[in-house]
Amino acid sequence: MALSLEKLVISRAENVLLNVNACVEKGQVLTVMGPSGAGKSTLLQAIAGQLYEPFSVSGIIKINNNVINRKPAHLRKVGMMFQDALLFEHMTVAENIAFAMPKNSHSNPHARMEAINTMLSAVELESMGQRGVNTLSGGQQSRVSLLRTLASAPDVVLLDEPFSKLDLALRGQIRSWTFEQLKARNIPAVLVTHDKEDAIAAGGQIIELSPC
Amino acid sequence: MFAQFTRIMRWCLLLLLCIPVLAGLVGVIFPALGYFPAIGANSFSLDVFRTLFALDDIWHMVWLSLFTGVGSTLLAMAGAFLLLATFYQSSWLEKVQGLLSPFLVFPHAAAAIALLFVLSPSGIFARLMVLGGDDVPPVAGSSFFPYDEFGFSVLLALSLKELPFIILMALSVMSQPLVKKKLLGYVNVGSSLGYSPTASFFKLVAPSIFTQIKLPILAVLVFATSNVEIPLILGSNNPSTLAVAIMHWFNHIDLSMRLLASGAAVLQVAVSGVALLLFFAVEHFLMYLGKQSLIKGRRHGADALVRGIGYGIVSLYVILISTVIYAVVMYSIAKHWSFPALLPEGVTFLHWGTALEALATPLVNSLLLGMLVSTSAMLLVLFTLESEQLKPAARHTNSAFSISLFLPLLVPGVAFLYGLVWFQQLVLQNAVWFHTYIAHMVYVVPYVFLSMAVAYRKFDNRYAMVAQSLGKTPWQVFYRIKLPLMLNAILVAWALGLAISFSQYLPTLLASGGTIATITTEAVASVSGSSTRLTAVYVIIQGAMPLIGFVIAWYLPGVLMKNRGASIKEKNKRRAVLHGT
Repeated sequence: MALSLEKLVISRAENVLLNVNACVEKGQVLTVMGPSGAGKSTLLQAIAGQLYEPFSVSGIIKINNNVINRKPAHLRKVGMMFQDALLFEHMTVAENIAFAMPKNSHSNPHARMEAINTMLSAVELESMGQRGVNTLSGGQQSRVSLLRTLASAPDVVLLDEPFSKLDLALRGQIRSWTFEQLKARNIPAVLVTHDKEDAIAAGGQIIELSPC
Repeated sequence: MFAQFTRIMRWCLLLLLCIPVLAGLVGVIFPALGYFPAIGANSFSLDVFRTLFALDDIWHMVWLSLFTGVGSTLLAMAGAFLLLATFYQSSWLEKVQGLLSPFLVFPHAAAAIALLFVLSPSGIFARLMVLGGDDVPPVAGSSFFPYDEFGFSVLLALSLKELPFIILMALSVMSQPLVKKKLLGYVNVGSSLGYSPTASFFKLVAPSIFTQIKLPILAVLVFATSNVEIPLILGSNNPSTLAVAIMHWFNHIDLSMRLLASGAAVLQVAVSGVALLLFFAVEHFLMYLGKQSLIKGRRHGADALVRGIGYGIVSLYVILISTVIYAVVMYSIAKHWSFPALLPEGVTFLHWGTALEALATPLVNSLLLGMLVSTSAMLLVLFTLESEQLKPAARHTNSAFSISLFLPLLVPGVAFLYGLVWFQQLVLQNAVWFHTYIAHMVYVVPYVFLSMAVAYRKFDNRYAMVAQSLGKTPWQVFYRIKLPLMLNAILVAWALGLAISFSQYLPTLLASGGTIATITTEAVASVSGSSTRLTAVYVIIQGAMPLIGFVIAWYLPGVLMKNRGASIKEKNKRRAVLHGT
């Protein structure tokens, strides 16, 4: 039971926005669908610990059987991805990934760079490490963005419509690649999307949020 | 904890703004009520006010302050909105913005002196008129500029200086992503309903920006009613505006005049208050007219006239700026320049040599003070803004905060600065630099905050969310993600702070007791001095100094991010002073 949301209720001021009861096993993807304004992104922010006024959350969020409700966001080990790659423009591709790696993941800087190069060549981005992020194409940026999230060794990954800005040809490809990576690393994920095809490709439980 | 630290910094910023202003007000109210132990006045009474109101010219002074202050603010506002109506959707907007931005950082004193060079009876325009066939050379004293007893020259100079500020404030509001989207929608709806662009602007766009720039406009109004430099340089002395009189009384050798000055300072607060009331009255009247015209449904709003005025204002600025540059540069290198000639006779760099020698210390003082003030203001503002993101405050505390932020701009400087000096002399008599630093901070922090707040609002917070989700602490997110990504905006705000510190006249003069000479204090002093040519050099240096900061702000990010791809460099091209990333 990797991620479990037990009687999770999110409210805006006094009004209940949504309630969810769900578990996501390791390597599985939970898909959350619903119209705009139903609170899909808000749910992800609650899990990531980045929910602010006027929103509030009650219920229990557990990762690997530990309650994380009170943990600050940066200690939760919950990776977050958005529809934009959001690569940091003041860093190179390799620096973006290095920035995400836990402090003591490798014995020395050299080993770190080696690991990054291995990751990059696995997705056909070898020799791109020293490039500025703005020189990359949209598809390349998406791949680096996921590599960056994976490099932080997250316990859970949250995907906020990550494929919606990619053009059709690229979308299917990036999508199946993303799910493969998550599955290979046994990471539970929550996907928020408008797109039925995303939900089908994710292959896990689907929750429909109703508008309120 | 970083979050707690930022909250402490937020409090420091608030206290830094409020304590000097409030202490300063107390420091003039007591002497105004007759309590001033330093000269043996120990009892409370209203005698000071009786003496004050018995003065012959007092109501005339009050009138001049009100007339120049309210008049110039309304004129500048009208001009600003007409200009925006003309250009808000055109590709010229950026050019107009670029033309007017330097005015924001051009010190008031320098602007007033510059106008002397072109508009005075021996200025460039007078020379042109004589050459153009007007045989009668204007006689000094009979012309309206400068020193006219009605205050027209002061009013004109104030409006010319404030119009760019109002425009830039409006543009910075209009460039916020959410506002921009909303306004674009309004305009589209307007034009689909058949309203002309001008009509759409005045009926749909203007009302929604006005509410958002009201506070800065009120600050402009208070400033205009209580400014010292401009009436001192351009105004009549028979009588002067109230603020100038206050300054003379405070600086009078006879210490008992301080009581009168304090009373007048309290009166100045009242005058600025009345100006605010007048402004609100005009605002309500305009809103009433606006509502009326909304229902009528006229699709055109004197479009041609509006555009004519818009282009007229831009041409006026272009002409003024180019003649000012011509006049001061020529004067600064002129050996001799007799009246109707357009070119000086002979070129010399003697004045530059003299001026640079005389200005060495003031220059170092200005730079040192400016760097210190602007850098620390920047840090305080950054932590304060960060504290708001880490723990958003409730709405009512927010509005309380923004009022305290504007407090130093809403209370006339000439009123509270003297009281502040009185307190400072009680507490730490010899810490002149510290006092001057505080007096500058009071004026620099609000502007740095305004400038940075825009950048913070525009910052895509998902970058911070991603960094946090990668396991970075709030401090790391702030230091390693936000600061580098907002570097442009930070440097621009820093440069703005530097420029504002450079331009401070009264705070420097008073807090330092005249012991710290800066470029601005020297320039104002030089106007009453003997050499016009030396003054010209001072104006050039005064105008060029703010550029130092902006040059750094424009080039440094490019150098630091050399290898980070092309599109960043593209973004570095920034014209607007108040615009962030």
